[in-house]
Amino acid sequence: MDSANCKFKVGDPVSVAPENPSGNPRTPKYIRGKRGVIGGVHGLLENPTDHRGIYQPLYTVRFDLSEVSTCHDQDSIWVDVHEEWLSGLKAEERN
Amino acid sequence: MSKNHGHKPFEGHMHDFEAHIKAVEEDLEYYRAKRFEPRVIYLLRRGVVTFYDLLKARMALKRKNQFFRPRKPQGTNIEARVRYLEEWLDEYVKGIALVSARAVEAMDMVTEDNRKERGDYDDFFKIKMREHKGTLEERMVNLEQDLKEYQEVLEVFVQALVVRGWASREELERRWKALHEERPWNGGIIVAKAWTDRAFKSALLNTGREALREFDIHQGKAGKLVVVENTDSVHHVVVCTLCSCYPYDILGDTPWWYKHDVYKTRIVQNPRAVVKEMFGLEIPDNKEVQVHDSTSDIRYFVLPQRPKGTEGMSEEDLAKLITVDSLIGAGLALEPSQLKEAEHSGAAPEMPRVRPD
Repeated sequence: MDSANCKFKVGDPVSVAPENPSGNPRTPKYIRGKRGVIGGVHGLLENPTDHRGIYQPLYTVRFDLSEVSTCHDQDSIWVDVHEEWLSGLKAEERN
Repeated sequence: MSKNHGHKPFEGHMHDFEAHIKAVEEDLEYYRAKRFEPRVIYLLRRGVVTFYDLLKARMALKRKNQFFRPRKPQGTNIEARVRYLEEWLDEYVKGIALVSARAVEAMDMVTEDNRKERGDYDDFFKIKMREHKGTLEERMVNLEQDLKEYQEVLEVFVQALVVRGWASREELERRWKALHEERPWNGGIIVAKAWTDRAFKSALLNTGREALREFDIHQGKAGKLVVVENTDSVHHVVVCTLCSCYPYDILGDTPWWYKHDVYKTRIVQNPRAVVKEMFGLEIPDNKEVQVHDSTSDIRYFVLPQRPKGTEGMSEEDLAKLITVDSLIGAGLALEPSQLKEAEHSGAAPEMPRVRPD
C-alpha cells in the first residue's frame, strides 16, 4: 500500500467535485458535490484487466447518510474515490 | 425480491420454484445485455467482426460445432425442468466467458470498455432487458425459447471469430473444458477460519488476498480485496452502484439481486429499511449500518459475526453456517438451529459456482 505520495490522510474532511475533471468515470452521481471524511488511503493500485493505465491515488471516503440521501438514519456510506475528484476542506467549512 | 417473514437466509431454495425462475430470468437478461451483447457491439464498431460475418457464420454453423448441449429432462417434473433451465443458463454464462476471453485478448479490450459500451455511465448505451410476465408455466416456456435464441447468437458469434481467425476451434475447445472445472466455494472456509484463528483473521482484515495465499486458499486476482468485519456496533453492507463489482474470483457468481438496479439504487438511499424489506434483516438501533460502494479497484466482502451457541464447533461445521447473503451484509451467519431446520426441510443453502479465473 503506497500512500507516501497521497494528498490526504485518514480523518481529513474533503468534498467531491461536482463534475468529472479528467474523464475518469468511477465516481457515482449521488456523491458528486458532497462532503465526507477520508476513511481509508489505498494509494496507487494497478488493475490492468479492469482499465488501462493507473488511476490517481484511491481513497475510501465516508459520507453521512444524510449528506447523500434524504434519509436521516445515523448510518454511513463509504465510497472509493480517486484523488482528482477530491479537494480538501478547512475545519470551518465542514458544516 | 419477495417480502418475507422474519429471517430469510435461503434465497431461492429449491422448494420455491418461483424464486428460482426469477433468478434465471434476471441473470439471463443481465448476462445477455451486460456481458455478451456489449462485447459484440464493441467488436462490430471496430470491424473485428461484421454483421455480414455473423450472417455467413449462421449459414456455416454445424450442429457438431455447437458448444452447448444441455439435456432436456423427460416428463413434466417441475424441479427437473427448473434445474434444466439453470444448467442451460450456466452453459450460456460459460459461453460468454469463452468468447469474452478471446475478444479481450484479440482487441486488448478491458472491463472498463465493456462498462462504457453497455451504458453503465450513460443511459444512451443501455441495452434494454426483457421483462418476464405470465404464469410460472408460461415463464418457463418463454425462458426455454430465450435460451435457445440467445445461445444461437452466441454460437454464431463464436463461429464468426473462428472464421475471421481470432480464435481456433482447438483453443476454444480447450478453454471450454477448463471452464467446466469449477473451483470449490471458499466463503464458508474463509469465515470459519477467521472465527477460529486470530492470526488469520488479523491478516485477512489487514492484507486481504495476501492472507488467503498464506493459508493456501485460492486468492483470485480481481483487484484489491478488503474484508470488513461486523461487530456489536457496526453492520456492513456491500454494493457496487456503478456496475456490479464483487470478489467473484473467490466467492463465485453474484446473486441476481446484487446486479439489479433496485438494490443498487436503494441501498445507498435507505440501507436500514432496504435490508429489512428485501431480506427480512432487522438491524438493531444501536448498530450503525455502513454501506460500502465498491466503485473502483477494491472488491469487498463482509466477515459476519459468529453466532451464539457455536462454541466448540469445528471449522468444518462452522463453515456450513455461512451463506452468500451473510458475506454481502444482506443476512447474518446462520445459527446452528436454523441450519438444522433447513437441512431437515431439504432447504440447505445452495452455494454459488466459482469459475476459473
